[in-house]
Amino acid sequence: MERTRIKIVGQSGSGLLTAGDLVAKGLQKLGFQLCADREYQSLIKGGHSCYTINFSKTPVHSLSREADILVAIDKPSLVAYFDTLKEEGIFLHGYEKLANLPDILKKIEEQNIKTVNLPSRKIALENGGTMQMANIILTGMAWKVLGFDYKIIEQLVQEKFSKKKALVEVALKCLKASYDGAETKQNIELPTKKEETILLDGNHAIALGAINAGMRFYATYPMSPSSSILTHVANMSDDTGVVVKQAEDEITAVQMSLGAMFAGTRALTATSGGGYDLMTESVSLAGIIENPLVIVLAQRPGPGTGLPTWTAQGDLNLAIHSSHGEFPRVVIACSDVEDCFDNVQHAFNFAEKYQVPVILLTEKVVCESKMTVSPFTQNKIKIERGLASNLADLKPEDRYRITENGLSTRWLPGSCDTTFFANGDEHDEAGVLDESEKAGDMYAKRMRKLDLIQADLPKPKVYGKEKDADISFVGWGSTKTVMNDIIAQYEKKGVSVNFLHFEVVWPLEEEVLNTFFVQNKNVHLLEGNYEGQFGKKVEACGHTFKNKFLKWNGRPFFLEDVCEYIDNYAKQ
Amino acid sequence: MSIDKKPACSVKELSAYNTDQMMTWCGGCGNYGIQNALKRALVLESIVPKDVLMCFDVGCNGNGSDKIGTYTIHGLHGRVLPLAVGAKIANENLHVIAAAGDGATLSEGVNHLIHAVRSDYPILFLHHDNQNYALTTGQASATTPQNCKMNGTPEGVRIDVIDPLDLVFSAKPSFVAQTTSIDVDHMTETIQAGLKHKGFAFIQILQTCPTYNKIMTDEWLLQNTQRVEDLPSYDVHNLTEARAFIEKSKKLPIGVLYKNPRKENFIQTLSHREKYKTTLIEEVKSVDIASHLSTLKG
Repeated sequence: MERTRIKIVGQSGSGLLTAGDLVAKGLQKLGFQLCADREYQSLIKGGHSCYTINFSKTPVHSLSREADILVAIDKPSLVAYFDTLKEEGIFLHGYEKLANLPDILKKIEEQNIKTVNLPSRKIALENGGTMQMANIILTGMAWKVLGFDYKIIEQLVQEKFSKKKALVEVALKCLKASYDGAETKQNIELPTKKEETILLDGNHAIALGAINAGMRFYATYPMSPSSSILTHVANMSDDTGVVVKQAEDEITAVQMSLGAMFAGTRALTATSGGGYDLMTESVSLAGIIENPLVIVLAQRPGPGTGLPTWTAQGDLNLAIHSSHGEFPRVVIACSDVEDCFDNVQHAFNFAEKYQVPVILLTEKVVCESKMTVSPFTQNKIKIERGLASNLADLKPEDRYRITENGLSTRWLPGSCDTTFFANGDEHDEAGVLDESEKAGDMYAKRMRKLDLIQADLPKPKVYGKEKDADISFVGWGSTKTVMNDIIAQYEKKGVSVNFLHFEVVWPLEEEVLNTFFVQNKNVHLLEGNYEGQFGKKVEACGHTFKNKFLKWNGRPFFLEDVCEYIDNYAKQ
Repeated sequence: MSIDKKPACSVKELSAYNTDQMMTWCGGCGNYGIQNALKRALVLESIVPKDVLMCFDVGCNGNGSDKIGTYTIHGLHGRVLPLAVGAKIANENLHVIAAAGDGATLSEGVNHLIHAVRSDYPILFLHHDNQNYALTTGQASATTPQNCKMNGTPEGVRIDVIDPLDLVFSAKPSFVAQTTSIDVDHMTETIQAGLKHKGFAFIQILQTCPTYNKIMTDEWLLQNTQRVEDLPSYDVHNLTEARAFIEKSKKLPIGVLYKNPRKENFIQTLSHREKYKTTLIEEVKSVDIASHLSTLKG
């Protein structure tokens, strides 16, 4: 079945998030698979925002730029988003003065758009509510237009307002009036086989994954789009006992995290580009004292404050090359909700096993896109601490012993009579400052861990056919989601598309990459930044892309973007 | 004050804290006395090296990081407080001691000091105040006296100094003490009091720097300090009076200037942790998230 694409638009503060969540949750209850994302501006009230939901009976991984149904809560958003409605689409609104918008009226007529209108202000007032109820009224209308059972949305609204007794009655009246007042325009087949799913976004999945992996301390400083990890971890802390600290700045957050990991718990911190910039000196310290550290770097477009609430893949070079000096590190990129849950667990394991900093890259579209996924399997990824099992006969020099593979024994302060010295200055095995020519030996010991790490990392994965695809793409992070949908879509058209996706972006795995380029002749880069940062790393391995599809305007790669690119390229 | 009153500190116990590293401080540097007093205080409090985590900032005091045989971390400049706090939150059983100079504490990382006091993290902090950036060859710090000519400020610094005690008092501390690097016994007592404190213990150490600080010499400190213990009416539990006294005192008061043993430290404020008898390092295992996952189901 084709996907259905809804956009609910409204000013920030109009209750659009509630409306979107109600519809998304209702669709989940009906057994649909969905992907939903919020576009919004960096403000609390006003502006215009959009809650997009794409749903289908089969898995939906990414979003479409266009909408089949546009639900407008207020006028500014109606105007801003009207053009995203497809020809012959359905336009739902509660605005009483559409006559004052001649451009919109003209388009409605020209493009044969079906309009569903109920006076939301009147309905709200008649039912004892205020204009704030417009979101519930539009939700009722949308649910009826889609042709779904009233009981489901009724129950969700009841749950939503259960803590606000005075509002629940008004909300249900408004919902009923709007549901009854609208008519069904869509004939959507319901899923017959209901697979159990959970509906959540990437940040929520990171919080859950970290807790499941034994994270006991979360220190952070709020910065979009990483901030909701704090919300989720804090909301669960009563039950989990996790210590949550909103620190005075990002340097504090990362230093606390580093200190807590040094002492021997699992700690996490998260930030975005600007906050990460502040953390970089600490990343370097973790490198020289060989201390585990896990930082979530949630990307948004920079430089400077950039576009705080939009998406990007522009901080890849930052994650790989940040911090002074040379030291081994791992950079893992999350593509979707399931990856977030798994990768934060892998991140802790790599950090502890190899005593290195691990940077977990996400993107706004990964952080905040909600998806239906199979309920997570707990304990799927074993906790690996990389700690000494035998504390007898340890010598202080064992902590930084120069070994063949670069890895030395790690034990925890307080666990053993043998103490050790973790020195941020270059040091000998005892941790003592070493300014002799032999200082290079310790340097090389640390760098040797890279080979060990490389051998243990998961390999990049090819989606679609292994070889001889009509068109091939290479990418990392969220581009996997759009390529998953594209591959399936083009298979039906008889065009073979494949995609080499890197989950671990650093250290770069070259074997699978080389094979991919040997086996596919029409390879393109798909990346969300201006320079094609990952592409340049691939080129440095001696490969040449036929062309590069890059995007840096704050929006994710929509389905249409990649379709247009493939179709245009096929014409050339 | 007489030395014979002091409890004995055996050479054997002390030597457990010593390392075989050569001292690299200038002759007459205050750091010798400070580290000596710190080791004595630890022995006198019956704390063994295995239970101590020393966190050193960068600077002359940090060059002592290999000269004390504890678990030790020598971190970044200005960032030692959050590093130490993170370790303490993870393992409350460790005695976590942070040490940093006036450059790190009042310039590079002054935000951390304010929030550490405010949050009352249960660690001991030794503020080595020698009134200059010594390891970088004598530049002015926030405590360098006005008009004092320093490397990089040949005409002297004209702007006001930061008074560390005043700053700390403004953030509602639970423990403030001042001592001098010329009096090992006094430092030992003061550090012992700090080790016993259950919250953030701020110890301001007036530290001589014979190479770059020609004003705050041994003699100057002898003549210009006064023990508050010798003042019968001094109320160590009254913050307002302590501040007022320090302000009007002609000599620099030394000793424990203020303590509030009743203030809840940061860890005690974590009410959701009351039922836990373990430290965070003992809790690193898979935590069941089933109940949270079920709320996300359709």
